[in-house]
Amino acid sequence: MANITKRVSWSSLCEDRAPGEGTALLDDTPGARRCRRQEETLKQPNEIPHNEKLLSLKYESLDYDNIENQLFLEEEGQMSPMGFKCVEISRWVICGLIGFLTGLIACFIDIVVEIVAAYKYKIVKRYIDQFVVEGGLCASVILWAILNSAFVMAGSLVVAIFEPIAAGSGIPQIKCYLNGVKIPRVVRLKTLVVKVFGVICSVVGGLAVGKEGPMIHSGAVVAAGVSQGRSTSLKKDLKIFEYFRRDTEKRDFVSAGAAAGVSAAFGAPVGGVLFSLEEGASFWNQMLTWRIFFASMISTFTLNFFRSIYNGNPGELANPGLINFGQFESGAYKLYEIPIFICMGAVGGVLGAGFNALNYWLTIFRIRYIHRSYLQVIEAILAAAATATVSYILMYCSDDCQTPGEHQAVEYPLQLFCPDGQHNSIATVFFNTPERSVRNLFHNFPGSYNSLTLFLFTFTYFFLACWTYGLTVSAGVFIPSLLLGAAWGRLIGNLLTNSGVSIFADPGKYALMGAAAQLGGIVRMTLSLTVIMVEATGNVTYGLPIMLVLMTSKIVGDYFAEGLYDIHIKLQSVPFLGWEAPATSHSFTAREVMSSPVMCFNRTEKVGTIVDVLSNTSAKHNGFPIVSDFTTNEPGRICGLILRSQLIVLLKHKVFVERAQLKQRKLLLKDFRDAYPRFPPIQSIHVSQDERECTMDLTEFMNPTPYTVPQETSLPRVFKLFRALGLRHLVVVDNENRVVGLVTRKDLARYHLGKHGLEELQLAQT
Amino acid sequence: MRKKERRNKGGIKLSITPLAAQSSAMVSLHLVPRLIALLLLLPGRIRSSSPVFNSLLSDLQGDPELEERCRDLLRDFGRRYESYVKCAVPSARPVRICENCHIQFEMLRVVYNNISSDQADPENCRDSLLRADRLMLVYMLFQNLEDVWDVAHCSRGYHGLSNITLRYMAKLNQSLSCFESQKNNHSELCRVCRADYKDLNEFYSIMEKNQTLCIDIEDSMNATRRLWSKDFNCSFPREETVPVIAVSSFMLFLPIIFYLSSFLHSEQKKRRLIHPKRAKSNNSLMNIQDKHS
Repeated sequence: MANITKRVSWSSLCEDRAPGEGTALLDDTPGARRCRRQEETLKQPNEIPHNEKLLSLKYESLDYDNIENQLFLEEEGQMSPMGFKCVEISRWVICGLIGFLTGLIACFIDIVVEIVAAYKYKIVKRYIDQFVVEGGLCASVILWAILNSAFVMAGSLVVAIFEPIAAGSGIPQIKCYLNGVKIPRVVRLKTLVVKVFGVICSVVGGLAVGKEGPMIHSGAVVAAGVSQGRSTSLKKDLKIFEYFRRDTEKRDFVSAGAAAGVSAAFGAPVGGVLFSLEEGASFWNQMLTWRIFFASMISTFTLNFFRSIYNGNPGELANPGLINFGQFESGAYKLYEIPIFICMGAVGGVLGAGFNALNYWLTIFRIRYIHRSYLQVIEAILAAAATATVSYILMYCSDDCQTPGEHQAVEYPLQLFCPDGQHNSIATVFFNTPERSVRNLFHNFPGSYNSLTLFLFTFTYFFLACWTYGLTVSAGVFIPSLLLGAAWGRLIGNLLTNSGVSIFADPGKYALMGAAAQLGGIVRMTLSLTVIMVEATGNVTYGLPIMLVLMTSKIVGDYFAEGLYDIHIKLQSVPFLGWEAPATSHSFTAREVMSSPVMCFNRTEKVGTIVDVLSNTSAKHNGFPIVSDFTTNEPGRICGLILRSQLIVLLKHKVFVERAQLKQRKLLLKDFRDAYPRFPPIQSIHVSQDERECTMDLTEFMNPTPYTVPQETSLPRVFKLFRALGLRHLVVVDNENRVVGLVTRKDLARYHLGKHGLEELQLAQT
Repeated sequence: MRKKERRNKGGIKLSITPLAAQSSAMVSLHLVPRLIALLLLLPGRIRSSSPVFNSLLSDLQGDPELEERCRDLLRDFGRRYESYVKCAVPSARPVRICENCHIQFEMLRVVYNNISSDQADPENCRDSLLRADRLMLVYMLFQNLEDVWDVAHCSRGYHGLSNITLRYMAKLNQSLSCFESQKNNHSELCRVCRADYKDLNEFYSIMEKNQTLCIDIEDSMNATRRLWSKDFNCSFPREETVPVIAVSSFMLFLPIIFYLSSFLHSEQKKRRLIHPKRAKSNNSLMNIQDKHS
C-alpha cells in the first residue's frame, strides 16, 4: 500500500502550493484558450541542490514513430519497387561504411596512443634510470607527473571548452540515445573529434582509463553522421541517403554504430550486436540485426587489416580488437574450479558496488561544486599528477623483482633498486598502458607477481579508477575495471597456487575471472558482456564460468547498488525508461499521469496563434494535438497530431492559405528532411504583422492517426506502448474522443521505485 | 612468441600420439629434460650394450631396403651425434654450448644435410633413413638438437667468433679480473670495479638491443650481474626516501586542498524546479477520496 500513501502525499503536495503566483507556466498563454482549464499556477520553494531524483527539461524524446501524413503517403506512392530496393541496398552500404570508418578510427587511436605513449615512457624511463644512478629521484617523480598532467590538461581543456558531452565513456549517453532520448549534441562530428583527441590524451596521460568505452560513442557518432550523407557542422551536403534523415532511421544506424564500436574495441562482433540488443532492444527486427552484425564484422576486420599493415605484415589478421586478451594456453578449467569462480563473482559484485557507491558520491559532489570548466580542468590535472605519484611511490617501495622470461618481453622494464638484469614487478602494471597491463596480468607465468604487490596494486588502483571516472576527460571504465579485477583475481590465483595444492596451476585464469567479475560488478551488463569476454579471450570453453561469474556479480552487486551507467544516467536527470513500468504502479491511470490541459490547434489555425504558442519560453511543447469542433470550455475531438519541428518548417516556408496562389510549389517531405536534425528556433523565423493574420491549413501535414488511450488506461499499459513503439506523445482522450491530456516520456519516467515504495521525480531546469 | 611456436611444432613431431599433440604446450616444456635424457642415454647404449646393438645390426644387414651407402651415412651420423652430445652435456652448466660445440654441430648438420639431400634415385637414403617408419628417429634426433640450437640462439653469436662477441669477452674478462683482485673488500670492489662493470653492462645492453646474444653470453652476463648485485651487493641503495616521500605527499595533498576549497568557496549548483500541470479534477477527486477514507 506504499503507493497509495505516496499518491496521497503527492496530491497533498499539489494542495500545499500557494496559488496565484504567475510563474512556472506550462502553456498558460493568451493563446492557450481552448483546452485551458481553471487552474492556479503554483509555486514552491523551487531551488534545490542537484540530486538523483530530478528529471531535466533539456532532454527530449526522439521521434521514433513515423508520421504518416499525406505527404508521406504521396511520396511512398511515387516510389517504385526498385526504389525500395535501392533504399535497402543503401542501408547495407551505410552499415559497411559505418563499420569501416569505426574500425579506422579505432586503428588511428590505437596507433597514436602506442606511438606517443612509447615516446613518453621512454623519456621517463631514461630519466628514472639516470636518477637512480646519480640521485635526485624526486625530480623524476615531478617529471613524470608533469608529463602526465600536460597530456591530461590538453585533453581535459578540449573537452571542457569545446564539448563537455564528450566527457566520460559516452556509454551512458549512447544508452539513453538508444532508449529514445535525444541527448543534445551527442552525435555530432565535433563531439567525435573532441572525443578522439581527448581519449588519446587521457590514455597517454597515464590516467586509470581505457579507450574502449569511447570507441562505442565514436562508432555511434560515425553512424549518425554517415547515414545522413551530410555534415551540418561542415556545412557539406552530399545529397545522398536523404531518405534516412529522420530519427527512426538514424537511431537504427546509431545502434549499428555502437555495435561496430564494441566490435572494434574488443574484437567482439557478436558481443557488439548483443550490446546493441541489450541496450536498445525495444525496437528490433531481424534484418536490422543482420545489418548490425555486418557493420560489426566490417569494423573488426578493418581494424585488424590496418593494424596488420602498421605492424608490417599486411594481411596477417591477428589483432581483431583494441584489447585482445590473448590465448590462454593452459586450456580449459576444471569442474572443481567453478565454485571458486562463483565466489570470485560475489567478490566482484561487492567490490563493484563499493566502486559505484563511492563514485556516486563523488559525482554528486562534482555536479554540485565542480561545475565550472576551469575547476574541472584543474581537477583532471591533479588526478593525473596524483596517479603518477601513487604509481611512483608503489614502484619505489616495492621489493618485488622479476627476471624477464624468454617469451615475455617487458616493454618498459624499470630496474629501480632491483638487481641488474631484473626489473621491478609492479612497474610492469603501472608503468605501461592499461591494455598491456591487463595482458601481463593474464599471461605472465605463475610467480611473476608476488601477492603483496598485487594487493597493493588492487588497493590503490581501486581508488584511482573510482576517482578518475567522471573527470572531465574522455575515457572509459572498461579497462580499469578489467585491470582491477585481473589484479585481485591473480592475487586469488596466487594464493591458491601457493596453498600447496597443485591442482590450481594457472593464476592467469583466475585473473580472467576476476576481471570479468569486477567489470560485471561495475557495469552490470550481462549477455553482451559475457560474449564480449568470451570473444576477447577467443576461448569458448570459458563461456560458462564467465557467465556464472557475471551472473553472481550482478546479483550480489544489485543488492547493494546500481550499475555505474545507470547511476550516471540518473545523475544526469535523463528521463530514461526502464524495461518495464515500476512495480506497484498499476493503480495509476493515464488520467493521473498525463499533463493537462493540452495546448491544441485547429485544423486551420491562425499564424499568430501558432507563433505565440511556439515562442512561449516557459513551456517548450513539442507535440500539439489537432482538434475539431471545440467550444470554449469543452476540449475538442482529436483528429491529428503535429510536431513543433513541422510547424517551424511550415512557418519558414510560409505555407499560408492566403498565400497559396503566390507559392511556386507544394511543400514536400524533402523540405522537412532538409531542415532535420537542427530545426531553427522559432525566434529566428520572422513573421510580419500581416502574416500573423493569415491562417495555415495543417491537415496535410499532421499525423492523422496518432496513438490515443482512454483515461482509465493503467500506467504499465501506457509504459508498454512507449517502450515498444518508441512513442513521443500519447494523447489521452475521454469516451467521446475529446483530448483531455497528453502523456510524454517525462510523465512516465518520473515514477520510480525507491526505498519507500513508489517515488516521483521532479522536473527541473538544468 | 614465434620462437615458442616453433618449439611446439618440434614437440608435436616428437610425439606423434594425438594425446601429446593436444597438449603441445606441455610437450614443449617437457622437451628439454627428455632430450637431455636421450642425449645421455644414447651414446652410452651404443657402447655398453654392444651385443644387443650387434644383433640389431645383423637384422638390419638382412634388410634389403637399406643400401650400403645409406648405412655409411647412418654410421657417420651416429658418430658425429655422439661427439656433439659428448661436447654439449658437459657444457650445460655454466652454459658454454655455443662456444664449445659449434664445430661439432656444424659437422652434424653437414651429414644430416647429406642424408636429406640424397634424393636422386627412387631408392634414395633420404626416404629410407628419414621417412621409412613411424618413429623417424634420425629426423627426430636431429630436429631436437636443432631446436636446442635455435632456442639457444647459438647461430647469432658464434657464427664464427664475431668481432662483437670478442669485444664482449674482453670486457667480461676485465670485469671478472677486477672482481678477482678486490675479492676481499666488497665496498672497495663496488667503487673500483664500477667503471668496468658499467662498461660491460652498457655494452651488453646494446647487444641485447641488436639481438646478437647467444645463450653463452646471456648466461655469463647473468652470472656476472648476480655476482655484482647479490654477492657483492653493489646495487643502488634506496637513499632518497625522505625527499621522494615529501614530494609525493605534497602532490597528494594538492587534490585534498582543491576539493576542500571548491567545497568551501564554489557556490553550490542549484536546480530550479518546474511544476508541470496535471489534471486538476484528479487532485480534487483524490482529496475527496482522502476525506472519505
